[in-house]
Amino acid sequence: MAMEPIDIGLAVTGGLLVLVVLGMRVAFAAGLAGMIGLIWIFWAKKGYAGEDFGWALTVAVKTAGQVPHSKVSSQALSLIPTFIMIGYLAYYAGLTRALFEAAKRWIAWVPGGLAVSTVFATAGFAAVSGASVATSAVFARIAIPEMLKIGYDKKFAAGVVAAGGTLASLIPPSAILVIYAIIVEQDVGKLLLAGFLPGMFSALVYALLIVGLALTIKGFGPPVGGFTWRERFVSLPPALPILFVVVTIIFFVYNPFGGDAWGTPTEGGAIGAFVVFLMALYRGMRWTELKDALLETAKLSVMIFTIIWGVLIYVRFLGFADLPGAFADWITGLSMSPMLILVCILLAYAVLGMFMDAIGMLLLTLPVVYPAVMALNGGEFVSAADSTFGMSGPMCAIWFGILVVKMAEFCLITPPIGLNCFVVAGVRDDLSVQDVFKGVTPFFIADGVTIALLVAFPAIVLWLPGQV
Amino acid sequence: EEWNVSLWGKRRAFTEQVEKLAELVSDKTNGEFTLNISYGGLSNNRENLDGISIGAFEMAQFCAGYHRDKNPSITVLELPFLGVETLEQERALSMALYQHPAVKKDLARWNATILMPSPLPQYNFAGVGEPPETLDAFEGLAVRATGGIGAAMETLGAVPTSMSATEVRQALDSGVVKAVSFAPHAHMSFGIVEKAEWWTTNLNPGTVNCPVVANTDALEGLSDEHREALIGSIEEALNHYIDYYQNQTMAKWGPTLDERGIERITYPDETLAAFEEAAAAPAAQAWIEENSARGLPAQELYDFTLETLAELKSVN
Amino acid sequence: MSGSSLVLSDDSRLSRIDRSLYRLERVFALLSGLAVFSLMLLAVASVGGRNGFGQPLPGYVDWIEQIMPLVAFMGISFTQRDGGHIRMDILVGQLKGRWLYAAEFVTTAAILLLMVLLVWGTWAHFDRSFDFAAPMWSRDSSMDIALPIWPAKLLAPVAFSVICVRLCLQLWAYGRALITGTAHPVAVPLVMSAAEQAAMEAEHVSGRDV
Ligand code: NA
Ligand code: NA
Repeated sequence: MAMEPIDIGLAVTGGLLVLVVLGMRVAFAAGLAGMIGLIWIFWAKKGYAGEDFGWALTVAVKTAGQVPHSKVSSQALSLIPTFIMIGYLAYYAGLTRALFEAAKRWIAWVPGGLAVSTVFATAGFAAVSGASVATSAVFARIAIPEMLKIGYDKKFAAGVVAAGGTLASLIPPSAILVIYAIIVEQDVGKLLLAGFLPGMFSALVYALLIVGLALTIKGFGPPVGGFTWRERFVSLPPALPILFVVVTIIFFVYNPFGGDAWGTPTEGGAIGAFVVFLMALYRGMRWTELKDALLETAKLSVMIFTIIWGVLIYVRFLGFADLPGAFADWITGLSMSPMLILVCILLAYAVLGMFMDAIGMLLLTLPVVYPAVMALNGGEFVSAADSTFGMSGPMCAIWFGILVVKMAEFCLITPPIGLNCFVVAGVRDDLSVQDVFKGVTPFFIADGVTIALLVAFPAIVLWLPGQV
Repeated sequence: EEWNVSLWGKRRAFTEQVEKLAELVSDKTNGEFTLNISYGGLSNNRENLDGISIGAFEMAQFCAGYHRDKNPSITVLELPFLGVETLEQERALSMALYQHPAVKKDLARWNATILMPSPLPQYNFAGVGEPPETLDAFEGLAVRATGGIGAAMETLGAVPTSMSATEVRQALDSGVVKAVSFAPHAHMSFGIVEKAEWWTTNLNPGTVNCPVVANTDALEGLSDEHREALIGSIEEALNHYIDYYQNQTMAKWGPTLDERGIERITYPDETLAAFEEAAAAPAAQAWIEENSARGLPAQELYDFTLETLAELKSVN
Repeated sequence: MSGSSLVLSDDSRLSRIDRSLYRLERVFALLSGLAVFSLMLLAVASVGGRNGFGQPLPGYVDWIEQIMPLVAFMGISFTQRDGGHIRMDILVGQLKGRWLYAAEFVTTAAILLLMVLLVWGTWAHFDRSFDFAAPMWSRDSSMDIALPIWPAKLLAPVAFSVICVRLCLQLWAYGRALITGTAHPVAVPLVMSAAEQAAMEAEHVSGRDV
């Protein structure tokens, strides 16, 4: 008896989870599941006749074979490697160290001072970096050794860096926000602007959490005080170039003087990288260091792109199985309150995000979930007055975008697949992935609080983009 | 029997003929033969011909300008200033060219048979900034224009850039382009009207050609009854398409311009005649040379197109 | 990046091949990094041209699309060699010795199956865009300035062939470890905690002394 495509879709999805749990590398597990699913679908179409298996195999392989090239050769995705490169170039330009040093001298006197400084330094760095993983990778080299020196728990120090890295995707510029904007066809500039307050807000919540922990736990890292005002002020100039890069990028995303922006966010990212590159040259970076930066960039980029095309082979199979259509029908047919449905969607992201990376997850889900959420609010062009969530269609798109990206960032630090934790463990030989996951656990609470507040008070997200 | 159909974007005027075809075929066969339309789930829009040639799906839509080298023969219909005046003419001209042996051979490389066009009206520019009251004002202006339209705009000194439709709004927002050429439905559905300050009513430099094709083996594998239901429904599907475009889309267009205070710019005939003279012949000449080198009977295709169009105009 | 991974080496033929292949993989990965760098330079040229000279770079988007496969594919084998493609290692992390090698052998074989099929599929994709008889051998071109796309499409089967070789080598290494039951398999990424690492190194050194 032939199975319906949707049943095949569900069966293969189950198979994918098994492969992932068995420890197959995620990118390839998704690709293989998609490939097998496609073979199955095409063979089922011919009624499983023995002589048609060869045909089904050929068609499936050729269909899957289109995906890697056609999906990665996209201008939108070119942002990812560029933003990763900014991170590594800034590291070699000494910018990250300067920023951390300034943060240390100004705020390390509070309880848990060095960890709080790390959070604010990553937030500052987030204004030039658009990729969470790269931010975590560079701060793992700078902040962790300093925290270890004054007696922080190794795991917690790693956790701070892994969590701090996620700020880079909320505070503009952000590769993942741009990708969201492109998938759902919304105004990139406003979306990037909308990320700013939630990003700062997240940083604040992280900082409060650390202060709270420092006050309650004995033997937590001590405050670092005793910097004179002079020492504080001399730490600022070396960090200033960051401001220059920030301003450059802002002008590309959104011209504050009301004229045209200078270009697209993609170009802005690349120009930012170029400015940082020039600074690194000025600070004495030579071919050896540049080569290291390029190799690191390549490694992280290829890892992310392999996941992207692997997941997209699987998504292509889902398209043939018509699973997205079935899901959209199901969601819109539910008789729960819209707010409850939204909360359930966010929870589903938390679960899914355990097994996926952020970009793969968005590519997989948004084509289905986004229209459903917009429909819940009353449609793409609904006015704030007629809407379910009290915001116009475009505003809802922005709000949901920030929520989803915050969820995706949360998933970067949750086990078993939390990219930021893998990256931090990868940089530090003395830390296992499990160590980092243990250290980052307190930040789950902080992120939970942040997400709840962003859901309850959409104004945190929408106020800034509402001003332009 | 079920055919998978690969389209992209969402349901819009541009896809109405396929939606109608699916409806008619299902009705005529009492639901025994259905077209299962997918918007982007089965393929990228630029890989629809690949999918057809593989046999991954049985029917698809694509635009000639997305990949000139895949389908050089039908790009003749995207040459600037061919002189097509109505959707009916565009439809009849496309259908006639699709029957040309050189076109059939070109598409046969992809195991594809063209079923019908997606006739679009002449493209015109909507833009921001100083309205180009004269054609000289296009000098140095960055515009989004593809294929033949881009070539024509170059003769005015404009700087054409092409990008896929979904990226256009962002490019306009960020000042990468100042004006965008689209058919009216796309000016509306891609949000250009939200930003635009002016629109050219009669520049009419050309249009794009986007056929709907079937996998040849699948088409031949249909029972006579099902094939008749499919082929026999094309006329009606296209009638519906044109009716929809004229009476729904274009009916919205005028009010949309008024509502948003978008200025209409109309050029005098002699200005346009000069533009056409400067742009049309060189573009045609370049096209013929390039495609002759490719082994196509390019001159013949070009002459056939002009003659057919002249005939169509003389009949009406 | 899958935890602290390291790849042991010795003077066996397997290990020598591993290191030679690694040199090639490194060159490919560096190409990928240079491609990212060129994306940056391209944007500078485009923005500079547009704002400075009123003349944008013709075909800017087309060029980006040509470069992206270099970025995305060339380092794939390099990353696999170092165990850099992420996975969930909660389950495999519990395994030791032959059980571990058997599990790794199976998942590596599954990846090889996928990549062999994808070499076929991506080659077919390239082949459809390539025509010896056509000008510039092109049967598929980019949208703006009609660049031939076949060179970019060819990168996928090339890079995927290299990772197929790498996977065969890893299968060989896991297979050998499975047979010998060694505690120190060469030519494959090992996942271990710092403590295990230190202990293993100490053992390794003392083992030589005996
Ligand atoms: Na950022
Ligand atoms: Na996770």
